[in-house]
Amino acid sequence: MNTTIEKQFDIEQPIDKVWSALADPAYIVTCVPGASLTEKVDDRNFKGEVVAKFGPIKATYYGDIEIKELDEAAHRMVLSGKGLDSKGKGSADMIMNGDLSESDGVTHVKFSMNIAIVGMLAQFGSRLINDVSDQLLNQFVENFKAKLAGEEVANDLSAGSMLGTMAKSIFRKKN
Amino acid sequence: MLECKTSKEIGGMGHSRKRKEDARFIQGKGNYVDDVKLPGMVYMDIVRSPYAYAKIKKIDASKALAIPGVLAVVTGKDLEQYNLHWMPTLMSDTQMVLPTDTVMYQSQEVAAVIATEKYIARDGRDAVIVEYEPMTPLMDPFKSLDPNAPILRPDKPGKEDNHIWHWEVGDKEKTEEVFNNAEVVVTQQMHIPRIHVSSIETCGCVASYNKVDNHLTMYMTTQAPHAIRTVIALVAGHVGLTEEKVRVISPDIGGGFGGKVPVYPGYVIAIAVSFLTGLPVKWIEDRSENLQADSFARDYHITAEMAGNKDGQILATRFKVLADHGYTDASANPSKFPTGLFSIGTGSYNYHTAYMEADAVYTNKPPGGVAYRCSFRVTEAVHAIERITDIFARQIGRDPADLRMQNFIKKEEFPWASPTGWSYDSGDYHAGLQKAMDAIGYHALRKEQEELRKQGKWMGIGISTFTEVVGAGPSKDFDILGIKMFDSAEIRVHPTGKAIARFGTKSQGQGHETTYAQIVAEELGIPMDHVQIEEGDTDTAPYGLGTYASRSTPTAGAAAAMAARKLRDKAKQIAAYLLEVSEEDLEWEPGKFFVKGAPDKAKTIQEIVFAAYTNHPPGMEAGFEATHYYDPPNLTFPSGAYICVVDIDPDTCHIKVRRFVAIDDCGNIINPMIVQGQVHGGLTQGLAPAMYEELIYDDAGNILNGTFMDYLVPTAVESPSWETGHTITPSPHHPIGAKGVGESPTVGAPPAIVNAIVDAVSHLGIKHLEIPVTPYKLFKELKAVGHFS
Repeated sequence: MNTTIEKQFDIEQPIDKVWSALADPAYIVTCVPGASLTEKVDDRNFKGEVVAKFGPIKATYYGDIEIKELDEAAHRMVLSGKGLDSKGKGSADMIMNGDLSESDGVTHVKFSMNIAIVGMLAQFGSRLINDVSDQLLNQFVENFKAKLAGEEVANDLSAGSMLGTMAKSIFRKKN
Repeated sequence: MLECKTSKEIGGMGHSRKRKEDARFIQGKGNYVDDVKLPGMVYMDIVRSPYAYAKIKKIDASKALAIPGVLAVVTGKDLEQYNLHWMPTLMSDTQMVLPTDTVMYQSQEVAAVIATEKYIARDGRDAVIVEYEPMTPLMDPFKSLDPNAPILRPDKPGKEDNHIWHWEVGDKEKTEEVFNNAEVVVTQQMHIPRIHVSSIETCGCVASYNKVDNHLTMYMTTQAPHAIRTVIALVAGHVGLTEEKVRVISPDIGGGFGGKVPVYPGYVIAIAVSFLTGLPVKWIEDRSENLQADSFARDYHITAEMAGNKDGQILATRFKVLADHGYTDASANPSKFPTGLFSIGTGSYNYHTAYMEADAVYTNKPPGGVAYRCSFRVTEAVHAIERITDIFARQIGRDPADLRMQNFIKKEEFPWASPTGWSYDSGDYHAGLQKAMDAIGYHALRKEQEELRKQGKWMGIGISTFTEVVGAGPSKDFDILGIKMFDSAEIRVHPTGKAIARFGTKSQGQGHETTYAQIVAEELGIPMDHVQIEEGDTDTAPYGLGTYASRSTPTAGAAAAMAARKLRDKAKQIAAYLLEVSEEDLEWEPGKFFVKGAPDKAKTIQEIVFAAYTNHPPGMEAGFEATHYYDPPNLTFPSGAYICVVDIDPDTCHIKVRRFVAIDDCGNIINPMIVQGQVHGGLTQGLAPAMYEELIYDDAGNILNGTFMDYLVPTAVESPSWETGHTITPSPHHPIGAKGVGESPTVGAPPAIVNAIVDAVSHLGIKHLEIPVTPYKLFKELKAVGHFS
């Protein structure tokens, strides 16, 4: 199943600092809950791992990450990730587009992610995928801002807090 | 209140006796397959494919086998050694038990884990690692015949496409001529989506092979135990499991509805493992396995057409079907009927020209389909005819009830020869619809609708008048894998006047322990409480084809009556002997023979039976038992008139069923209370696809609603209060004039509901809605015609 999530946020940091952080998978991965890099193949290709928990379904994905486009002048990037579930229970593919712009010393980050899921996560968790992915991205944004500001960031997947935030979002009005 | 020939104490036909089987069910003391516990029993769980279409590169069972308690992991390659990796389907196609190289649908069985305990088997299942090479699945049946579509069944020699079969019936040229010359022609495309029976008990078995005497006992959730025994012998006879070495026991079954007719791979794997190990193997699937992998129902894409006159006379119909069967034709139809009894779709109307054709294709979806509480594709046929009839009525500006009354086959015209070859036995469609209209207050409702429309409120009235065809079936046309579809009853009465009767059918909740006893009571005058009914053990029950498609009353019920009548004949001879008169001098009233003109000179059935063991006439065989194998001369044709009233919220598009009246005609009624219960259940299972249920797949082959969180089985909250009633036109060819009723409501309800919803918004330009009709679908359609702009 396919799902697209779009996010925008502002960060009070210079655009070049934000850009070099976002363009570095090793940096980003430390902000994504449950993610880690296992190998750097070359400047554009990496291998990584993500643990995802959607309700009762938990899955570990091993995948290939590729920086498809990196346009420093226009501050545009396209990143792709292709992951296979470690137990053969499915696959998850992702394409992320990121755009930066600046005004008054504030960097505006706009990105959209298209996620395609095949297998167990879709069979059992299709209803949850949007919400949980949204939560994951929110967490990422928080972590990223904190890290850029020089704080310590822990990106282990805390199942309790994920479920709690997600449960709250279901009952909160959506804007 | 029905007029009964027997007293309440005897409890023959027409009495609303409480069900005998309910005592154990409502106390939680039923005996289901999962209650079976045998010494040394091991448990099986199944590893399933997350992909709809993929090559299997590697199966790594090492981590699973390392778990204490896991005994074995079985794969397709293991079964291949015994030639058990493929098996036949009931439609003479073939199906994988376990794949050796390619998986064909999401949730397909890939490997089986055997362990000492149930939860260890589950842990083992989660520890098996399978490496797949996913391929792009074929999910759209309309694309399955594209030249560049993948050939899904290269295992079939010479197969170069995904076409399974073509079927047609009727007069193509004559129909085309009528359509070309007709004043009015209406056409509508409709999809009857995939749904699932979702019985409260999932499927499972305990396969217990005894190595010492080479004997297999198979406890199984099956609706047709004898057919299963024969299939096992055909498939595994070469390894020693010949038919006398196999005993199939179908104990209490928690709902079948057609979903427990197919032979699922899990059963075969369990038998194979038990055979190889000599241990009893239990396999019980969980709910999501049942929903995602077991046989679906429906999935017909139909183009329905009707030709008629401006004055409302229907002249002809033409149906074209694309049938999506998943990756193999595992439907459960009589072998000569690939589309089941779909040709009943000419309906209750008195026209003589029709043509139907169907094509079936393979896709990467679970195989099937089963007849979910409908007699072999009759739900699909009735939806098509009742929707197109409404569309025709609307096209010429006629009230749908009036249009139907104009076109109904008249009571005197039966037996009716339908344009597709059926001989409808009896019916009174005018009386049925009139009764329904009176019960719901039809004309007052139409006035109310007019008033409400002026206030901008949406209310709709929908009608469905259907003819069902059940009781498969006469041996000249009906067989499953070659076995004819007769059925059987064996009755034995003990010296003290109590009886046991066994049947070739298998109740999964229909109430046979009560209704069959009532038939015996009716014929022999033995109180129904004294008649014990047994089904399901192939070692003791006479051979039969099981229970589905509402066939039990028409076939086995008839066999019961015939066997009981043989016994009554014997009773008359014994009575004549005891009373020292000739048989011509005797008269029968329920429970006794008496001398004409001298009613005090009588013998009760109990006295007669006692004499059969203690004082039987010289030259006569002792004992008191009879068996009858009944080959029905025709199917039976229940019918019904259903009317539904809905109110729709114009802002939210929320649909509420305000009232639903169901008038059923199932011929002579055995137990009115049981019939009413059947109708309530069937109506709810008709409401389900009309408004809630549909199995949804995406292009990647994922099922998107694989749990009850998203596959919406209606609950008490969604169900309206059902109002039921009946008319009675007995079947002239059935020994007790009964027709069967279990499935009529599931067949007749969906079009009544959809017709009501369309009626509610027809003044806004809506002509058709696809089921399930959800508020969102309705909203989109209304927006498309300019509403909500």
